Amino acid sequence: MAATEDREAPAPRARGGALAALTQAALALPILAIAARAGAAQVGEVGIAVLGYKERGLIKVTEPVIWANAQIAEVWEVQASAAIDIITGASPQLVTNLSGKPVQAVTGASINDRRNTGDLHVTRHFGDFALSGSYTESNEEDYHSRAYGVEGRWDLDHKLTTIAAGYGRSNDRVGSSIDQTLNAPRHTDEYMLGVTRILTPLSLVQSTVAIARGRGWYNDPYKLTLTFYPDQILPILLADRRPDHRDTLSWLTRYRRHFPGANATLQADYRYYRDDWGIRAHTLEVAWQQDLGDRWSVRPALRYYTQSAADFYSPTIPRPQPEIVSSDQRLAAFGGLSPSLRLTYRFAGGTVIEGTAGYVHDARSLRFGGGGSEAYTTLRAVFGLVSVSRPF
Amino acid sequence: MIRAIAGAVLVAGACCACTPVAPYQRGYLARPDMALAPDTGTAKALEKTYSAKEAASGGASVGGGGCGCN
Repeated sequence: MAATEDREAPAPRARGGALAALTQAALALPILAIAARAGAAQVGEVGIAVLGYKERGLIKVTEPVIWANAQIAEVWEVQASAAIDIITGASPQLVTNLSGKPVQAVTGASINDRRNTGDLHVTRHFGDFALSGSYTESNEEDYHSRAYGVEGRWDLDHKLTTIAAGYGRSNDRVGSSIDQTLNAPRHTDEYMLGVTRILTPLSLVQSTVAIARGRGWYNDPYKLTLTFYPDQILPILLADRRPDHRDTLSWLTRYRRHFPGANATLQADYRYYRDDWGIRAHTLEVAWQQDLGDRWSVRPALRYYTQSAADFYSPTIPRPQPEIVSSDQRLAAFGGLSPSLRLTYRFAGGTVIEGTAGYVHDARSLRFGGGGSEAYTTLRAVFGLVSVSRPF
Repeated sequence: MIRAIAGAVLVAGACCACTPVAPYQRGYLARPDMALAPDTGTAKALEKTYSAKEAASGGASVGGGGCGCN
């Protein structure tokens, strides 16, 4: 078996010296750092990107992002990024059955929001062990978040296996631009355990379980439900009411397989998600990165998402009126397909330019196995992402 | 939760019986397109975009913080 694998996957042939350099770079690196420092002699990278996202008839998001990472004195790694979300347009705030059946309505109020976010990630290597610390801050007019995390990684079995464990804490404050008195806390503790394994000279897999325990304010101050009853003259208008806790579990598995003969790499990610609100979700993304010569590559990808509804989701207000109920369609049962295409060009000096175009189509009919929520309003959106990165 | 953790360990652990891969055979694994986590900045931007419209999020790391995405 070993001999067979060796024949299938010989050491990479030198192609302009690049792959030989990759091999040299890979020799001493732990699994998780291999691809991140593929540039061999490089000690860092800076990058800038702009994301554009537009929903049909609803919101528009423009997000410039800048990031940098560097290796310092061989044992330190520092990563940092900053982004600004500029959000404009209209967001659905009301679900009403005025027309007979419940539909999402866009009120006159339009969104004009801005989110500033930044993070810092520092790693110290101690032989086969690495310890990381991170801090993230995000500020909007009506939402503030401070989060930190610590993570340990151990390379085992001649760096064929890496075990990772982490803890994170997020302290958030929820506000509202329509209710200046709202200033409620939300705290989340996160725990993560993961395993990464090199399978063959051409493939590796990573599987990570993360659980989060959240406490605090989860109501969305912008979501309302207006329900008319046939036997009642006046309708009932109700604000969004959710539980004051949320425990989640995310199980993410990633697989990478390179095909030297085709100069291509298969990238497959699958995530299972569940929480104590009754939501079960599956996300599968498969991409094929195809090199077209030494400079160009193209990456078609398809992402599929499906979820069940939260136990307390209802597009109308039931009678008797429950303690908690939300008509937010993000808590409904639906599915989504998102194809995308990325084009990459690598300059001789190492600078990389990438352009990605994608489409998002969420609909109740796309839920796996059927049973999507009747009131779910189909979402169609397009996004584009352009980035430039340069090693140093 | 226990089942999920056991499953994650099984997914990677079951592969322990796979071929030993010597350090000099890891050149292809160093390719950028073999990275398990894509570029820091762009990946976060896209992930936030999806999670603003879906109930599920997370899984890859801890300490990412929240947002009031509408």
